[in-house]
Amino acid sequence: MATVQLSEAEKVYVLHGIRDDLRVDGRSCEDYRHVEIETDVVSNTDGSAKVTLGHTAVLVGVKAEMAKPRPAAPEEGYLEFFVDCSANATPKFEGRGGEELGMELTNTLYRVFNNKHSVDLGSLCISPGEHCWLLYVDVLLLQCDGNLYDAISIGIKAALFNTRIPKVLISEGEEGGTEIELSDDPYDCVRLAVDNVPCMVTLCKVGPRYVVDATLQEKACSVASLIMAVTPAGTCTCMRKVGGGSLDPESVFEMTEAGKRVGKSLHGPLVALLSQEESLGKKRQKVGFLG
Amino acid sequence: MSPMKMCFPGDKLCSIDDCKPGTGVHMRHSVIYSSLVGYVLKKNEGEELPVISVVRETEAKLLPDVGAIVTCKVTSINPRFAKVHILYVGSTPLKDRFRGTIRKEDVRATEKDKVETFKSFRPGDIVLAKVISLGDVQSNYLLTTAENELGVVVAHSEAGGQMVPISWSEMQCPHTHAKELRKVARVQPEYLHA
Amino acid sequence: MPTDTKRIRGPEVSHSLSRFVCKPDTTSLPSDGARADGRSRDQVDVRPMFVRCGLVSQAKGSAYIEAGDTKLICCVYGPKETERKDETDMKCGRLFADMRFAPFACPERGPWIQGSQEKDLSLMVLESLQSAVCLHKYPRSQIDVNVMVLENSGSALAHAITCASLALADAGIEMYGLVLGCSIRQDGDSYLIDPTFLEECGGCQSSGENQGSLTVSFLPNLNQISGLQSDGEMAEGTLAAGVRACIEGCYKLYPVIQQALIKAVRGAGPLPIES
Repeated sequence: MATVQLSEAEKVYVLHGIRDDLRVDGRSCEDYRHVEIETDVVSNTDGSAKVTLGHTAVLVGVKAEMAKPRPAAPEEGYLEFFVDCSANATPKFEGRGGEELGMELTNTLYRVFNNKHSVDLGSLCISPGEHCWLLYVDVLLLQCDGNLYDAISIGIKAALFNTRIPKVLISEGEEGGTEIELSDDPYDCVRLAVDNVPCMVTLCKVGPRYVVDATLQEKACSVASLIMAVTPAGTCTCMRKVGGGSLDPESVFEMTEAGKRVGKSLHGPLVALLSQEESLGKKRQKVGFLG
Repeated sequence: MSPMKMCFPGDKLCSIDDCKPGTGVHMRHSVIYSSLVGYVLKKNEGEELPVISVVRETEAKLLPDVGAIVTCKVTSINPRFAKVHILYVGSTPLKDRFRGTIRKEDVRATEKDKVETFKSFRPGDIVLAKVISLGDVQSNYLLTTAENELGVVVAHSEAGGQMVPISWSEMQCPHTHAKELRKVARVQPEYLHA
Repeated sequence: MPTDTKRIRGPEVSHSLSRFVCKPDTTSLPSDGARADGRSRDQVDVRPMFVRCGLVSQAKGSAYIEAGDTKLICCVYGPKETERKDETDMKCGRLFADMRFAPFACPERGPWIQGSQEKDLSLMVLESLQSAVCLHKYPRSQIDVNVMVLENSGSALAHAITCASLALADAGIEMYGLVLGCSIRQDGDSYLIDPTFLEECGGCQSSGENQGSLTVSFLPNLNQISGLQSDGEMAEGTLAAGVRACIEGCYKLYPVIQQALIKAVRGAGPLPIES
């Protein structure tokens, strides 16, 4: 993980600021940094999104492929996640350096989507037991400036919103087998319902309080943080503590409550923004990676 | 067996005003807590506050520390330093091997510049040494033998006999009467152990 | 995915028999009434636990836990010289945790090679223990914790954490407190503490609200939560209630752990120092 070194005096400064609800960059404890989202940035994907949160930049690409459904769930498609910590983000990720963090992030994503409501997996089924859609959700970290989890989850929600799966027709073949027919019209596609896709909120315990969307400096002052994945309805699909420290139960309860509040309020503007971007259609000005 | 008080990690033992912390305990907010499973032991040492520690039958302290006297075995030598394996800390055998280095400058206290490592140690020698530093990322534990009481205690001659010390810098083989050079320790009774 | 070339492997594709068995409707949990093993819902009714320390003579410390049919063993080695010198902090020791399932631990055979799920669990064990161990007392050294699940009958992670902290205490590693793990399975409005394997898996099938599981690791002496992990969908209030139930469960297990440690210390013989 990209980290910064802080002196004792700097730590005290950050700590006192947070105690008084005024952080180094002027935010209050439950504020996010400036978020920028752009969807449909990579043409070779079925859905993609680029999210920048402060100086953290994440690129998410979704590719749909046909696969055989899992034996345990023959009437459902499934998602595969992979988080790549490329050496672009920090030289520490070179070689196998980013593997550990990538594994941690990937496993958390599997947990977040391990329930019935986040994504309607039934809609990804083409023919039960035979064919289904497998969505590869690949996340690339371009820059690390703290709060990777939140940025990744926003990116995934945006990319899934942007995902268009081609329409496929199943018909009886002449010799009794099934035939798969892909629609000729490239605009004839299915979209995924993303209303229930959760957003992750990282609450970083700094001193007696906690902060949302911690920068690297703030992260260096904290020993433990709590990650929560919150749906628009306010239910939590995954929660885990990360970091070497421990938390007392009372602050855990406070933090889950705050996480729910913050997570819930994140969805409204996000969905509004995504639909607004889409409504622009062809008129949309593409920013790409230079923005 | 005496009904001694048993405690667990995290158990509150007493305030810092009542006792001095010994081994197997830690402090937080001027209260002494146990950090081991074991028996609470209070020892009065003269006029000062009693020392409180938590002990078990197995010796807990097992890491070489700065200032500790260690017994080690020389594994290799080169003109600049001798490499050793630390076998004992005080009189406690270590379960795992720790590597250490005795640099040329740390072999003896006088005429440091004239020290030649192969005239001081040979691979296989058992050496008493003191830890001077835990070393940095690249190096191992740094040890010194620059005291009269420190140096080679057991050495074998080329013929294979266990040599007897004849001066602070020489040892002799009882079979061949050949003399070999070593930095010999004047073994103190308190360092003697099986 | 790396494969072990030295091992004679079975055929490429094989299926567990359980897949062909017609499933009676036991996967969904009975919505109310007693649980399959006679325990009742909504009560902190943990399975009776059998604990023993010091089974593995080669290790510095070891522990074995049996709760219902969940059986696991943990060994602690070290403190020893660090192998990875590159990024070690010289003032502090390092803790390594590794949790594995035996291939025959679950109803379906698992692979020998550690999968990503096991790595995730290892990380959870590590994070739960890290805050409890006085690592500053072990400069330049590493402590290895290995947990092996012999039989998984639910709540493996929770028991792994308990077992690991017990083995650390048995090894004489200095700690700020003992860590205990407890998990619950939320099923609608009621919860099942210390779920069995069937109860754990049943959740994936049912689609009602508040289906999820939660594992908490807790230091009873310091009143601190050192690890937290939840899965599935739960409302925030339910989650908080679940955490409270888990903490209560940890308090219930604490005397059992203490007894095991007393036995281990007494069994090892008298004190070396006359008292």
